[in-house]
Amino acid sequence: MALTKVYDAATVFKHMNGILNVYKPAGMKVKHVRNAILSNICKGLNEMDQREPRKLQENIRLLGTGTAADHVLHNIAEQTDISDHLLSTGPRYLPRDLICTTVSSLGDHTSGVLLFGINRGAGQSTSIRKNRPVRVYHLIGHLGIATENNLPDSRVTMRSNQRHVSADRISSLAASMQASHQRKMFELCGVDLQTQEAYELACRGLLRPADDSQPVVYGIKLIHFDRPHFTLELHAINETQEYLATLVHDMALDLRTVAHCSQLRCVRHAHFDVTDSLLRHAWHLPGIIKNLRQQRDILRAHPQLLRQQRVELQATE
Amino acid sequence: MFCSAIRNILRNSQNAAKNAAITSQIRNLRGQQSAHHEVEMLTSTGITHKQNDKKTEPAESEGSQEVALDFRNREAHVPSFNLAAYVNNSSTLQQFISLGVDLHSIERRKGLGDFVLKLDFEKNVKPYITFLVDQGVSPDDFGRMFTKNPLLFKEDLDDLQTRVEYLKSKRFSDEARQRILTQNPYWLMFSTRRVDRRLGYFQKEFKLSGHDLRLLATREPNAITYNMEHLRKSVFTLKEEMGFNAKDLSALVVRKPRLLMIPPDDLVERFSYIHQDMGLPHAQIVQCPELLASREFRLRERHEFLKLLGRAQYDPQKDLYISPKTIVEGNNFYFVRNVAKSDLETFDLFLKTR
Repeated sequence: MALTKVYDAATVFKHMNGILNVYKPAGMKVKHVRNAILSNICKGLNEMDQREPRKLQENIRLLGTGTAADHVLHNIAEQTDISDHLLSTGPRYLPRDLICTTVSSLGDHTSGVLLFGINRGAGQSTSIRKNRPVRVYHLIGHLGIATENNLPDSRVTMRSNQRHVSADRISSLAASMQASHQRKMFELCGVDLQTQEAYELACRGLLRPADDSQPVVYGIKLIHFDRPHFTLELHAINETQEYLATLVHDMALDLRTVAHCSQLRCVRHAHFDVTDSLLRHAWHLPGIIKNLRQQRDILRAHPQLLRQQRVELQATE
Repeated sequence: MFCSAIRNILRNSQNAAKNAAITSQIRNLRGQQSAHHEVEMLTSTGITHKQNDKKTEPAESEGSQEVALDFRNREAHVPSFNLAAYVNNSSTLQQFISLGVDLHSIERRKGLGDFVLKLDFEKNVKPYITFLVDQGVSPDDFGRMFTKNPLLFKEDLDDLQTRVEYLKSKRFSDEARQRILTQNPYWLMFSTRRVDRRLGYFQKEFKLSGHDLRLLATREPNAITYNMEHLRKSVFTLKEEMGFNAKDLSALVVRKPRLLMIPPDDLVERFSYIHQDMGLPHAQIVQCPELLASREFRLRERHEFLKLLGRAQYDPQKDLYISPKTIVEGNNFYFVRNVAKSDLETFDLFLKTR
């Protein structure tokens, strides 16, 4: 498909459908990101070519003095309906004209991939959400300092020594936590891990929760250690910011120290990667349109994102 | 009763049908009439009496048409949610549109729609436009000014003249006055006494000389007429919370009067980042007040990128000095190429690790 330049706002609006991959900055609410995106889209659309004001109907009766200097008469001659002029109707596109749904929300302190369904992409966003794809996080923990809600902005509640913690100990703990989470999933399904049934279940793909009530962790891995900071890579479904922060805190308690989560970053949501996501300085109409096109290609390459066989979605309870 | 209502409706619809038939007839007749005119040009005056016949006929039917279409006249007085409904019938509103006044944003504010609708262009608007032209306001700005403050037409012209004379007496130059009137359409709404009190407050609070005060008022005319409560809060924040001394404060305010209009919470957030994380002393912040006028996330992104590259060196005594002023200048591309001397891909990658 060849790309052509478009100057007409209506054409752009018609083609503005699909999934948008935005890089959410930390410390900004999802609601604010959404408002910023929508208002930027509308700003861009209103700056493009608009349709001309309508023509007046014929033999319409207007109030006027009827003298030669009367503007009403001049306008009748031109037959344009001034009540449809941009200055009297206001901008043609408003944020409320667009449909925008989030695939799944991120916490305030979390940064990274945030997916929106724009206009007809709202349906796609619902089906992606229903499929419950895995999200990958990079969590940076800060050892030695515990805070009230395990996030960096709250009060410090405890300090402790962390000299005894080494990368080996963190990774072995991460591995054992991963194993116990996996075992928990099979147990919730009611199958023993050492059976043929469990093997067949595992062969059919990822064991996923049926509803979005319970967070499920699929993998934890230490990828970087720079005392006092350590970075974990975590694959999970149904997680929340609070759950992840508590997880980091609990890990530190097992390591006989304390920690809080200084950064949470979502690097991947299903096949939507952080490398394709739209940074704050590119939140303008051309950038958004380009991003919609990229995400459409991803969806086309991975049709299972939208249509998935329900058999794989096993209840964990 | 129900039956009679139905009968009425039926009768009305029949009337309407009849009228529709009549109007179509009129159109036909008109068409013929014009055709006749053409014929008349070619031939002699032989068919004039025929034409007269036809002229009387439309006159009759036109009367009936007026009855049928009467609701159109009434329609103009039907209450409406917006001004757009009246635009086609009001020459004042049409004049406003040709001036570039945004009626849509006027009608969203309470009471203004009513007020604008009652204006008469010749009587209420024209004298003010001549007045503004006399003050040197460019016609391109009228649209923006009247959109912001349509209530200007409520003021007395003599009062406006007095207020301009007041500015003249305070030795504001022609360009300064022109800028003040254009940038701040609300200025003329303030009585001479009130403006005088405001200017006095600024002069006393920041210990400004006459020249500096005029500079401040010209640079940011909106600051003078800003919400007094907010101004006091901002001054308190700058003075007590951030600890600028009187001399620094006046320098800061004259250079960047916009700081007074920024919400104090944002200002403190920016200041604490600049002072604590970037490590700039008060003296350096006074040198470049642009830092305080820039949003916090922007400062953070750029400073941390420079720190990553090892170029965050703001001490002019040492090598590889980067002026804090250049950090907040320009867009990201300009910053990355000219200040950080890196490329945009690196910057994007960096931002995606935040």
